[in-house]
Formats: sequence, C-alpha cells, structure tokens
Amino acid sequence: MVSGGLLAQGLALGILSGGLYALLASGLTLYFGVMRIVMVAHPAFLFLAAYTTYFLHRVTGVDPLVTVVVTVPLFFVLGIGVQRLLVSRLAPENLAMMSVLLTFALALLIEGGLGVVATGSYRSITVEYATSALRAFGVALPIDKLIGFGIAAATFVLIFLILRVTRFGTALRATIQHPTAATLVGIDTIKVRGIGFGIGLATAAIGGAVLAIVDPFFPAAHWDYIGKLMAIIVVGGLGSVQGAALAALLLGAIEGVVQVTGGATWAGLIFYGFLFATLMLRPQGFFGGRLAERF
Amino acid sequence: MPNASDVVNSPVARRAALAVAALALLAYPWGAPNSYLRYAGVLVVMYAVLATSWNLVGGFTGYVSLGHAAFFGLGAYGTGLLIIDLGMNHLVALGLSAVGVAAFAVVVGLAAVRARGASFVIVSIALVAMMALIAQDARELTGGSSGLRVPAISPDLDRTSNHVLFYYLFAALLFLALGTWWFIDRSRFGAGLKAIREDEDKAEALGVPTTAYKVAILALSAVFTGVAGGLYGMWFGNLDPIFVFSIIVGANMVLMALLGGVRHLFGPVLGALIVAPAGEYFLTRFGETQLHIVLSGFLLAVVVLFMPDGIIPAVQSLLRRFGPASSSIREETQQQIRDRHEVTT
Repeated sequence: MVSGGLLAQGLALGILSGGLYALLASGLTLYFGVMRIVMVAHPAFLFLAAYTTYFLHRVTGVDPLVTVVVTVPLFFVLGIGVQRLLVSRLAPENLAMMSVLLTFALALLIEGGLGVVATGSYRSITVEYATSALRAFGVALPIDKLIGFGIAAATFVLIFLILRVTRFGTALRATIQHPTAATLVGIDTIKVRGIGFGIGLATAAIGGAVLAIVDPFFPAAHWDYIGKLMAIIVVGGLGSVQGAALAALLLGAIEGVVQVTGGATWAGLIFYGFLFATLMLRPQGFFGGRLAERF
Repeated sequence: MPNASDVVNSPVARRAALAVAALALLAYPWGAPNSYLRYAGVLVVMYAVLATSWNLVGGFTGYVSLGHAAFFGLGAYGTGLLIIDLGMNHLVALGLSAVGVAAFAVVVGLAAVRARGASFVIVSIALVAMMALIAQDARELTGGSSGLRVPAISPDLDRTSNHVLFYYLFAALLFLALGTWWFIDRSRFGAGLKAIREDEDKAEALGVPTTAYKVAILALSAVFTGVAGGLYGMWFGNLDPIFVFSIIVGANMVLMALLGGVRHLFGPVLGALIVAPAGEYFLTRFGETQLHIVLSGFLLAVVVLFMPDGIIPAVQSLLRRFGPASSSIREETQQQIRDRHEVTT
C-alpha cells in the first residue's frame, strides 16, 4: 500500500504540472475558438520553444526564463504567419479534417527538423537558484516546478484578463461567438483571427521556457503531450478557457497520484481512459461552454 | 472528335492498361535483380494494401484516421502471440487475430463515431499512442522494446523465397482490398457511406443508418489492416512496438491515399507506389536520420494545401485543359453516337 505522504507528494507534483497543461490548453482553446480547428502541432511548437530557449541559454548565457522576451514575440509573429499563410488557405467545407492533417504535417516538420539540428537525445537546463525544494506539510515542492507553475498561472491570468477586460478581447470573443455577426458590427475578423493564433503560439513559447527548466526534453516527446492535451480539451469541453484549465488541473492531479501508485505507463493511460469515457458519456465535455457541442 | 482524354477513358485502353499493370505487379519478384529490391517490393505492396484499406474509411466516409497503425499492430501482435504462445498454425492465427481486430474496431468505433470531425482524428491518434504505451509496458507478453520474434512460416524457407512468398500474399490481399472497394463503391452501402461524407445530418434524416454504417466500414477497414499487420509479422519475423504502433506509419497511409486521390480506386496504390519507394530511397541514401520525418511532413503539407484531391484528379484536369474546351454543344456526329452504342450494346 502506498503511504499517505507519498500520495500527497504525487498529488502536489501533479497539480504543479497541471499548471503547464492549463496554459497549453488555453492556447488550444484559442485556436479552436477563432478558427474551429484542432491544432495538433501545438506541443511540437512547445518543444520548438524549449529548444530555442535551450540554445539561447547555451549561447548567450542569459537566464532561460529571460529568453521569453525573444521567443514570445517570435512565436507571436510565427502564429500570425501560420494562420494567414497556411490555415486560412484550406477549403472551408472540409476544414476540420484538413486542418488536423496540416497541423500534423507541421508537427512532423518541427519534430524532424529538431531531430536533424539538435539530435534525438535528451536535453535539460539546470538553473542554480532552482535546484532545491521547499518543504511544506511533509511534501517536497521543487523550486523549479513552483516557478514553472507560477509563470504558467500568471500567463493564464493575463490571457484571461486580455479576453475579458480589453477592447481587443471583446472583439476576439465576438469573433469566437459568431464570426459573421462580428464582421457586421465592424470587427476586422481576419486580423483578429491572426492575432488569436499569435497569442496561442505565444503560450507555447512561454510553456517552452517552463518546460526547459522543469523537465528533460527530446523531439519525439511532443506526441505524449498531444495525447494529454487532447484528453484535457475533450474532458473540459472546448469553448471556455476556464473549462480547459479546470480539466488540466484535475487530470494533472490524477496523473500525479497514479504516477506514484501505478507507475508511468498507467499515468499515461489515465488520459486516454478519460478521453474515451468522456466521449462515451458526455461528448460535449464536462466543463465546456456553448461551443463544445460538436467539433 | 477523339482526343487524348478519350483514349485515356476508353474502356478498352483502360482494361489494357490495368492488365499490363497487374502483369507487371505479378512479374516484379522475378525481375528484381537482388534481395534488397525484392524486400523493398514487399514493403511497397504492403503499403499499397494499407493505404487501400485506410481508404475504405477515409475515402468513402471522409473520416480521417491517423491511428490505423493501431489495427496494424494489433493484427501483428495478435498473430505473433497466437503462434508463439498457443503454438497455432500460421493461417489459423492470422484468421483469429483478424476476428479479434474486427471486434476491437467495433468497440472503438462505437466510441469514436460519436465524435465527428476533428475529435475522430484525436481519438485515432489517442488509440495508437495508447497501444504503443501498452505494448512497450507489457514486457512478459510482447517482449517490450526488445521486440517479439515471430517464427517463420516454414523453417526451411530461404530469404529469397520468403520475400517472394509474402510478395504474392500481400499482392493477393491487395487485389482483395481493391475488389472490396470497387464492390462497395457500386453498392447501396457505398452510396450511404458517401452520403455520410457529403452531409451526415442529411444522410441520417434520409434514413441512412449512419452509426451502423460507420462502425461496419471501420471494422472492415481494420480487418484488412490487421491482416496486413499479421502478414508483416510473419514476413519480417520481428515486431518492434515503436515501429508497429507508430503514428508515422498511420500518417503514411493517409499521405499515400491523399496523394493518389481518395475518391479513386487506384489512388492509394498510386500514392503508395510514389511514397514508399521514395522513403526507401531516402533511407538508403541518407541513412537513419530524422530527415525522412521532415520529408513526410513536407509532402503531407504540400498535398493538403495544394492537392487535397490527389494526383489523379489533378492530372485529369490538366489533360482536360490541354484537350479541346468543353462546350454545351455536342461535338459528336450522329454516326459517332451510333457507333459507340453498337460497341457497348
């Protein structure tokens, strides 16, 4: 039997990684919102960001977390480019399937490209200030994971505020709700969609910096994230950023507990279990908004 | 007036071209100069089977599955384990595991077809990722990442005759898969599936039993894929969970079918004839690098962006452009029409 202390430890670590999942899932929600597409390449861009962070850190010696001042604008522009030059070219009548294939192709390109440039071996960044762990209630909380969670949570709150408070956020939400009506009231939906995509990829850039300091990474690992993130957005129900975040924290916590009780394979399988169970019982998801009925 | 496209479309020329292609396919192992080319030939025909099986679902219903490698791997491991652990005859094991794959596909299908559009693709990706995790973890059953050795069909079969034998087995399976596609294409069942592709809600409103049809075609497609997997295991003799349950294999099936043209009987075969040899050439020329992943991704992106209907329609429209402009005025004389009717009746 696994002791209570170990369970609490697993739970704490699970919630901490749930923070990164929530940030990434918010990006996926944005893509889906503005274009009604599922962006399979999101985790691949996450790893592209992690490698960019890694090489910037190795070459210039700056703190890996500071590199976001370069990667975030870069990925924002990249996101606008992907939306304008690639995704918007697809024929609307079969957009759902073709966009998955197109973004899948992007994921392959990134994975293969990273493999050629950086080889398939593990990389990781260790920062001196984050090698110890904080102890609270008999649970060890590694500083690097705490920092990662903090950054993810802060970014998440920032995106939420942009969506709720700013004028651009209103335009974005209008575009998500009803593109035609949004155009009619004078919103430049083409521009808004591009920026929405850019913000989505920017979350991958920040996520990449976090990933680089908390976990070792290698190019092919993005497939694990695809499964996890897809399970999260299906359980959460596509549509609301909050739904995705709740599902991310919940599945992250369960993953953490299963990790200490049943091992890594079961922890990975848990996500697929939830994915299939949700599709059987409640295909629109558990926390989803109105958009979630069918995608 | 007869023109280039008439020659291409005339039934006699088509049948002649088909007969030549079939003969070339059957003669290949005898013309192949070395063992490597015989091996590559088996691989290409196997991919042609896989792409054609995939197209039963993808082409008719428009549901894109990236996870067909799950059925491939299940057929391969099912066959291999039945031979090794229960000492079964190879053919019995192949048949039993095909039944198993069909049952599995029905269960998965019932969950997956509740999801339309993009979530079906997600489920298919999840499926293959899940199987890969299980196959790597269940070491006492599958041998894990060190692989599973499948005994050869007969111990006194040398390498050349092994390649030749499996070349013909895969070719037979290919004819069967093509025949099935051809038959469904002309059946009521096929009309229902195509109605699902064009507009699922309207199809349902018109009385097409959409769920039953989708599950049935998924199971049929899975059986062909699973049998191909079982044959692969017996032929190759070693199963590696990383390759067998690889999402890249699934993506290659999609790429081949899309490249050739999913609405055409021979589209996936044509795609396989292009992609599989190109992949093998790349492998021998540049070795085991990540470049082949880049190549697959690049090709897939190009096809999706610029040629979503595939090569066959692209070439057809090109031929039409070089041919005389079509007009509403009939350009045939009464004599020509009479002649044509005499030929057909």
